[in-house]
This record gives sequence, C-alpha cells and structure tokens, in this order.
Amino acid sequence: MTCGPSRWSGPDTVSYVLKRLGQTVLTAFLTILTVFVLLRLAPGDPAYNYAPPNPSTEQLEAIRKQFGLDQPLLQQFWTFLSNLFHGDVGTSFQFKQPALQVVMDRLPYTITLAIAAIVVTTIIAVPLGVWMARRNNTAPELGANIATIAGQSMPDFWIGFVLLIIFAVNLSWFQPSGFATWGELVLPTATIAILQIALISRLVRREMVANLAAPYITVARSRGVPERDLTWKYAFANSAIPVVTALGTRFAAMLNGVVIVEVVFKWPGVGALVVDALQRRDFPLIQATVLVTVILALVVQLAVDLVYPILDPRVRLGEASS
Amino acid sequence: MTTATAQSTDIPGTVVTPARLRRSAAARRHRYSRIKMWLGAVCAGVVIIPVLLAQVLPLQDPVNGSLAQALLPPMTDGHLFGTDANGRDLLSRVLHGGQTSLLIGCLAVLVSGAIGIVAGSLAGYYGGWIDTVVSRLLEAQMSLPLLLMLLLVVALFGPSILVITLVIAIAQWPEPARITRSLVLVEREKPYVAAARVLGLHRLTIIGRLIIPNILQQALVVVFLLLAQAVLLESALSFLGAGVQRPYPTWGGIISDGRQLFITGQWWLVTIPGLVIALLVIGVNLFGDGLRDRVRRTKAAS
Repeated sequence: MTCGPSRWSGPDTVSYVLKRLGQTVLTAFLTILTVFVLLRLAPGDPAYNYAPPNPSTEQLEAIRKQFGLDQPLLQQFWTFLSNLFHGDVGTSFQFKQPALQVVMDRLPYTITLAIAAIVVTTIIAVPLGVWMARRNNTAPELGANIATIAGQSMPDFWIGFVLLIIFAVNLSWFQPSGFATWGELVLPTATIAILQIALISRLVRREMVANLAAPYITVARSRGVPERDLTWKYAFANSAIPVVTALGTRFAAMLNGVVIVEVVFKWPGVGALVVDALQRRDFPLIQATVLVTVILALVVQLAVDLVYPILDPRVRLGEASS
Repeated sequence: MTTATAQSTDIPGTVVTPARLRRSAAARRHRYSRIKMWLGAVCAGVVIIPVLLAQVLPLQDPVNGSLAQALLPPMTDGHLFGTDANGRDLLSRVLHGGQTSLLIGCLAVLVSGAIGIVAGSLAGYYGGWIDTVVSRLLEAQMSLPLLLMLLLVVALFGPSILVITLVIAIAQWPEPARITRSLVLVEREKPYVAAARVLGLHRLTIIGRLIIPNILQQALVVVFLLLAQAVLLESALSFLGAGVQRPYPTWGGIISDGRQLFITGQWWLVTIPGLVIALLVIGVNLFGDGLRDRVRRTKAAS
C-alpha cells in the first residue's frame, strides 16, 4: 500500500488548504462578530455583576470604564479587533487575567474528554454497525436497531445523572464530580459515548447495507473472496469516508464544549466555563472561548478532509466534488 | 450462513409456500417496521395521553404543596412519583410541565418544518443565487457552536415560550431544508414538471401545486422526527437555566431543580422526569423510523 505525502502533492492540494484556511478565518470572524453584537445587545448591565452590593452610580461608571464598556459599540469592536491582531483577546472580568489564558487552562480537560469519548465511540460503534449491516433484517438486528434508537433518544443530562446515581452514589465506584484521578473520566465519557455510539453505529449500518448490496460485492463473492474480506476490505473500505467525516464532525462539535455533560459532572472544561461566563456576563471570556473553540473545530474538520486521499485514492483535494 | 446464501439454497425446485413467504426478507422488513411503529406509538402514547389529560385527571395541585409532605419517595401517601422539596406532587408537575414542553416542541417543529420545506424547495427548484444563499446559510449554521448561540439568544430576549420556540425552530430548519432541496432537485427533472412548464404554469404554481405534494410525504417524516429533537433541545435549554419558568416548569426545569438533591438520596426528582422525556423521544423516534422505512419502500415500489 502506497501511502504518505505523495497523495497530497501538487499545487491543487496547497491551494485547497490555503482556501480552506481562509474560509476558517472568515467563519471565525463572522462568528465572533455575531457573538460580540449579541452580547452587547443583551439587556442587563455586566457592571452590576462586578460591583459591590448596592453600588453607587460612580462605582458602576468606574467599572464600565475599567472594562471599556463606556465606549460606543463600534469603538469597542475596533479596539477588540486591533487587540486581536496582537494576540490579545481581552482580560476576563471575573478572573482578572487574560481571557485566552483562562480558556487555555481549561482546554486540556475538554480535549481529554473529547478524545476519550471519540475513541470509545469508534471502538464500539464501527463493529456494532458492521454487525448490524451483516445481520440486516434479522430479529437480533431489530433488537440492536431499537437499542440504538433508544440510545439517541435519551437526554444526555439524564444519562449522566442515572450513571452518577448508580455508580457514584449507590456503588461508590467513582467520585461524583470534578477531575482528580483518571477514574473520574469514566462516567462523563460513558455519558457522551452512549449517544455517539447510537448515532455512528446507525450511520455505519446504513453505509454498509448500501455497499454490501452493490454489484461489485456480488462479483467479488462469485470469485470466491472470503466473507470477512468482503465485509472489511471491500464494503467497509468504501464506507470509510462518510464514517470518518461523521466521527470528525462529532469530535469537532465536542471541542466546542460538551456543555451539558461538563455541567452535570462539574468537569473543569470550556463548556462549563462558558455557561458560567454567560451567567456572569464575562464578555471577554465568552469571546475568547468562542474564538478558540470555533477555530479548533474548523481545523479538525480540515484535518479530516486531508485524510480523504489516504482513505480513497480517487479523491483529489481541490477538485470540484460531485 | 448469511441470509443471502440461505435463500439461494432454498429457491431451486421449491414451491413458494405461505410459510416461506412470511420468512422472506421483504415480509420481515415489513413486519419489523410495523413492530417499530407499534412500539413507538405505545411509548409515545403512554406519555402524550396523560399529559393532554392533565387538567381532567384527578391530580394534586402542581404549584402549591404542603411542606409537611416534602420529599416523599414514590408510591407513598398517594404520590405515585413522590413529592419535591416543596411537597408538590411530582406526577402532577411532570404532566402539567409536559404540556409546555410538548407545546413548544410542536410549535417549533411546525415553524422549522415550514421554513425548511419552503426554503429547501425554492433553493432546489430555482437554483442560482437563491440556492447559493440557502446553502451558505446552512453551512454557516453548521459551523456555529449551536447550544451556546441558543443560550445567548435566550439570555438576550428572555425565556418566554415564543422565544424558546423560535430559537429551537431556527436551530432545526437546516434538516428539512437540506432534505427538501435534494428531493426537489430530483423531482425537477421529471417529465411532469417539463410538461407543466410547457403548459405555461407559473413556477410558484409548479412548486406549490405539483412538486411539494409529491415530496411532502418524505419531507414530513423528517419533520416528525424533529419533534423528538425539539423536546430534547427544550429540556437541555431549561436544564441549563434557559427555560420557561411560569406557570409550570418544563421537564428540563424539574430535573434542574432536583439535581442538587440526588446526592442525598432523592433520586426520583431527577430520574422520573428524565424517564418521561426518554420514553416520549424513544416513542417518536421509533415511530418515525418505522414510518421512514415504509415511505421509502412505497416510493421505491411506485
């Protein structure tokens, strides 16, 4: 099997990557613009959240001045943009330190959780989906099918609480919250994985059913290719691209913060951070979180696209897709 | 070993018997989709019917409880689901709160389905700049951190039923729009559309009177499945504190209220409302999935 950079060589790929990076910058800019405007339009004055109880008008005024909220909206946005070019996203209202630093401190926790969840999902969902496709329209498959529908129908906070009640409260196997040892990773990962396994395994099944019914499988079977090879080397190889795309999209979405799971398990990631920042109207922190996570998610999507030529030699990046 | 080989050994020299017909792949598929639809209807009905009848059923007051009866476990003192920290009957709260949850879900799905089908069919039929605008909007929305944006908008406009309904509808319109667009792209090339064009019908007439009726069945299945997502999204929002507060909390709100108490052993305040949500959503998803199998087959057969 030939592999490696040769698949990506050529001016097409370079210009493709550059184009995609340009789109990433544009999307990130539009997102941050939307968030910036929405935050300033919202009723309620953030100064109240950071003033002593029963503040005087002067105190509030001083806080607004300190945060730069006394400036006109356009002026604020201009300051924000010019600071951004110098790598400064502003100072968090509540932590009194650079917002980017606060986000970066929390990011490893979210990434850890996202990687653990996507690995568990892949290990379980792919074989499960292939098995369902091979046993399509049998009674065991109907059972698995209904189970996966149930898996994608349960609210994730509810799964989290049920796991906590069973394994943390009643059995005391795990600490109920936070992140002190690796053991605490188990329950949040399981909570995310249940939903993701249900979604991904159904996708794998759908793709595999279509590919297993294709004429090339019949031809290969008549040539005497073993069933195992038909499944994995023929049908699965052709199902890989949509499956990898879905896994990549899911992973990218998790980097935006697995908000609910982080809140349920009091996990110190960016999802819980941003909910907290939203309640306290910590504008710079919200902006920094959105900026970092959106860029990260877009980069992951680009990386997934770069894997396509390895999975399918027919794919040439930069050419118009059908 | 596989079904394919098992069948091929059966076929030569055998007569098609009713028993064999019942075991055939097509008959099994039909039976399984019916099992899914029945199971789904039962699961959803167990939740929906009592919720709709909440005003008629002999329930305790969902708003005022007696503190003497606070935190009773399920099945005590006539409280089937137990009581909450304020001594209010949980069953009554779940059923009354469910009316708000269901109302928001149904309205959101109607709005998102209407927007999605209209935008999708216009984009699919006209192409050109309309298609470009709609497709770019769909892509842009996919790259946004959705839940965060929803929380932001609810924080901005306040957690009223109208705002939450619209927010969920906006979150959901891409799905029906994408499906409708791809269905219309196929339908547009069919001879009857060309015939209508030759007859001089207006393009909006062709879309509204001819194309949409032909794709509506498939599009509505997708819209129906969105109901499950809408209920989940609504409960997630109210769990995070961005839910309707008055007059009764929605399902997510009840869970959010009870989540501080499960550590001390009051498990029912969290698990029971969650079970109700799960049952409804499983029911809707199962029914919709069975329906989709069936629609796809009748379409393929015609």
